[in-house]
Amino acid sequence: MTALLETRRLTRRFGGLCALDGVDLALREREILGVIGPNGAGKTTLFSLIAGSLAPSSGDILLDGRPVTRLPAHRCVRAGIVRTHQIVRPFGNLTVFENLMVASHARSGAAGHARERAAELLDFVGLGERAAHYPGSLTLAGRKRLELARALATGPRVVLLDEVVAGVNPTEAIAFTALIRRVRDERGVAVIMTEHVMPAVMSLSDRVMVLDHGKRIAEGTPQQVVDDPLVVSAYLGTAATEVRT
Amino acid sequence: MTVRPPRIVTPAAGLVFATACAALAALPIALELSGYAHNLLTLSFIMIAGALGWNWIGGFVGQVSFGHAAMFGVGGFVAGRLMLSMQLPAPLCWLGGALAAGCFALGGHPMLRLRGPYFSIATIGVGEASRLVFTYWERFTGGSSGLSLPIDADLKYQLYWWALGLAASVAAVSYAIRRSSLGLKLLAIKADVDAAADVGISATYYQDLIFALSGAVVGLAGGLYASYFSFIEPSDMFGFDRSITFVLMAVIGGVGTSLGPLLGAVVFVLVRTYLLASYPDLYLGLYGLLLILIILFEPLGLTGLALRVLGWVRRARAPARGPAP
Repeated sequence: MTALLETRRLTRRFGGLCALDGVDLALREREILGVIGPNGAGKTTLFSLIAGSLAPSSGDILLDGRPVTRLPAHRCVRAGIVRTHQIVRPFGNLTVFENLMVASHARSGAAGHARERAAELLDFVGLGERAAHYPGSLTLAGRKRLELARALATGPRVVLLDEVVAGVNPTEAIAFTALIRRVRDERGVAVIMTEHVMPAVMSLSDRVMVLDHGKRIAEGTPQQVVDDPLVVSAYLGTAATEVRT
Repeated sequence: MTVRPPRIVTPAAGLVFATACAALAALPIALELSGYAHNLLTLSFIMIAGALGWNWIGGFVGQVSFGHAAMFGVGGFVAGRLMLSMQLPAPLCWLGGALAAGCFALGGHPMLRLRGPYFSIATIGVGEASRLVFTYWERFTGGSSGLSLPIDADLKYQLYWWALGLAASVAAVSYAIRRSSLGLKLLAIKADVDAAADVGISATYYQDLIFALSGAVVGLAGGLYASYFSFIEPSDMFGFDRSITFVLMAVIGGVGTSLGPLLGAVVFVLVRTYLLASYPDLYLGLYGLLLILIILFEPLGLTGLALRVLGWVRRARAPARGPAP
């Protein structure tokens, strides 16, 4: 089975620092892939490379087997890859509905179509009542929902979620987890998510990849990854591994 | 949830706009306007077009240009040259000037990679460089002695309706842009250029496009202005004062609003004409003061003031009608 999205030996250096070092990744259709790792492991760099915000130093990115390696961000969106930001970035001068409209236009030229999709997505994320409000009046959770809806409005095949659950209260976190599952199940969109909130990422992910210092150190089902001594040492240090073994 | 598609133009607004245009078109004949009033209105229309055109890049995208005099000058001088050398009919000359100004603006592509104050500073540099180049390019612009254009009295009189047509069209287009998907994209770029790219908007393409369109409109205004004065010289057309004028008109009227700069241009032309006649030394100082007051207290200018007053009126009337059901 061929992968929907694939990276091969993906590398990005910032001067002497190798933020991402030869990472291979394969994402299948309708899959949720969790990417975890300590702070500074390269998760956000990985997203920036795939989404076209940064150009890789070397390596390839393939969507459906076609290279999208050096496409600028707006072309990646048209190809079907879209990201959300860890710190939400709504367009504060547009209403909630207009935020979705502008993203929706990226894909479909016809205004009528864009409007239907935007309205449908507002309901999907539960912001239907807030269509005419400005993003500034939403709670953080509301803005995170908007960020997700705006990404989906571009009609993606792969959506990259950078810590969407982090920072919201536990009730909201549970609601978000359900929402992300529905993104996959109802809309058929494949998801790569980074997350520090472990219950969320572990319950959602079909597979989990662990990054540390820019390298992939483990990959597998959530349970396999948690049991991996390398992963435990990356998070807790080697002494912890010795205690466990 | 029901999302009603917003109507591009409400019938009432369209009617008001059409009536206003018709009234202004009939004005010179109906009231037998004095030559002075006739000219003042013509100049206002030309400046309205310029201010609204500037607002497309300066207001909608938030890239504040202090160099639009370059496009104004190119439009004016190319139109003038076409008139003098090729004896083309005036409207064709104006269009030629607009086209040249639009192409000239496309040369601004590298500047548009800059944002905020850096962009503004770059436009000052390019604007001043253009002024010098065109001042010393004497074969084309006549240098500091300028160009005298063959404008007969009939054309000068008719210029009123040409300028009115231009101002009305630019106002309609401004309104349409603000309400269209293009307008949303421009506002998204203004809010966050990286986030705009992340929803599939090419900031480079849309900024180039709107800068060229803005330049073409300001060039068209420059062409009409050249015909209006029938004498042009580079230091006036390309001057830094001229660039500031566009910024001032937009700021007074309401930067980034669809039609605010229209109000700004009218106020600017009227106040300037009055002040220049009565207090020639004071007028720049007064504009400075006005600018400071607006930026401090009402960033949306006259439009913001109007909205505020409208809000007071609504609130004052609301209790009289009792609580909303």
